[in-house]
Amino acid sequence: MSTVKVYLPELGEGIAKATISYWYAEEGATVVEGSDLVEVSTDKAVFNVPAPCSGTLTQVVAHEGEVVGVGAVLAMVEEDTVSDSEEEEV
Amino acid sequence: MTFPERPLSVLNLGLIEYARAMDVQRKVHREVTCGNSCDTLIVCEHPPVITFGRASKKSSLLVSEKAIRERGIEFCLTDRGGDVTYHGPGQAVFYPVFDLKGLKKDLHFFLRLLEESVIRPLRENFGLNAYRRQGMTGVWVGPYKVGFIGIGVRNWVTYHGISLNISVDIDPFSLIRPCGLDLKVGTMSNFFKDEISFKKICDMIVENIKQLVCEKGSFDEFLREPED
Repeated sequence: MSTVKVYLPELGEGIAKATISYWYAEEGATVVEGSDLVEVSTDKAVFNVPAPCSGTLTQVVAHEGEVVGVGAVLAMVEEDTVSDSEEEEV
Repeated sequence: MTFPERPLSVLNLGLIEYARAMDVQRKVHREVTCGNSCDTLIVCEHPPVITFGRASKKSSLLVSEKAIRERGIEFCLTDRGGDVTYHGPGQAVFYPVFDLKGLKKDLHFFLRLLEESVIRPLRENFGLNAYRRQGMTGVWVGPYKVGFIGIGVRNWVTYHGISLNISVDIDPFSLIRPCGLDLKVGTMSNFFKDEISFKKICDMIVENIKQLVCEKGSFDEFLREPED
């Protein structure tokens, strides 16, 4: 099991920060790689940050309404790992 | 200077209810995201509707939701950026579902591109002094705001877009603080004695968007200084 950090990505030139506007999942929820995890917003745009891996959302670091900088950690996801026995079954 | 052509589909929905247009937009977004469709520009008009974006504040609504509905105006919460706005017949709405991975992964770039898509035809084809204001996304003619922008981006594919007041009744804007601001709203028909062709303007903007998408490298022009 490994923990993967979710970062606020670069959104464009001159955009240094964004507001957390909506979490699609709560702590403890299962998330799927590539699905919407958190929505952030700037003045006229919303941007959906996807889950970086499949697993469990273990910690929300930045909460709705908070303003965060590009590169800030937004959450922690405990990555699913396929056990040896499961791998053999596949 | 010539630029390589980029494929772009145009989907004209005509007059369509806001919620139905959102359904179409979501389907198109899925197809563009999967790579099953090329970039697609949805063009339409909506029956009267006030929409609340993610940045909307209660204070942006000057009357109750009930009072709005009693005037025959729908009320919708939506997942675009920006504050409250109004759509109605006579206003052209453009929803570009574009993959920014093939253009530029930059939200500001795309907002400026949308402004430019309207500014150029208004200046070059209609002689209007259309311009952008720094820090106040949208399109202005004189003291009037005529173009309104709010977007969303998922997987770097855009949704929502820009609306342009062409001949729309602007009275319903008085029910709201458009974009959360106290501003003067205008419509293009105010600037001309003769009737202007809705279709002609839409066609010009569509052609201009096609051109701008091809010109993705000429970013500097989008950042020219505002002239107000």
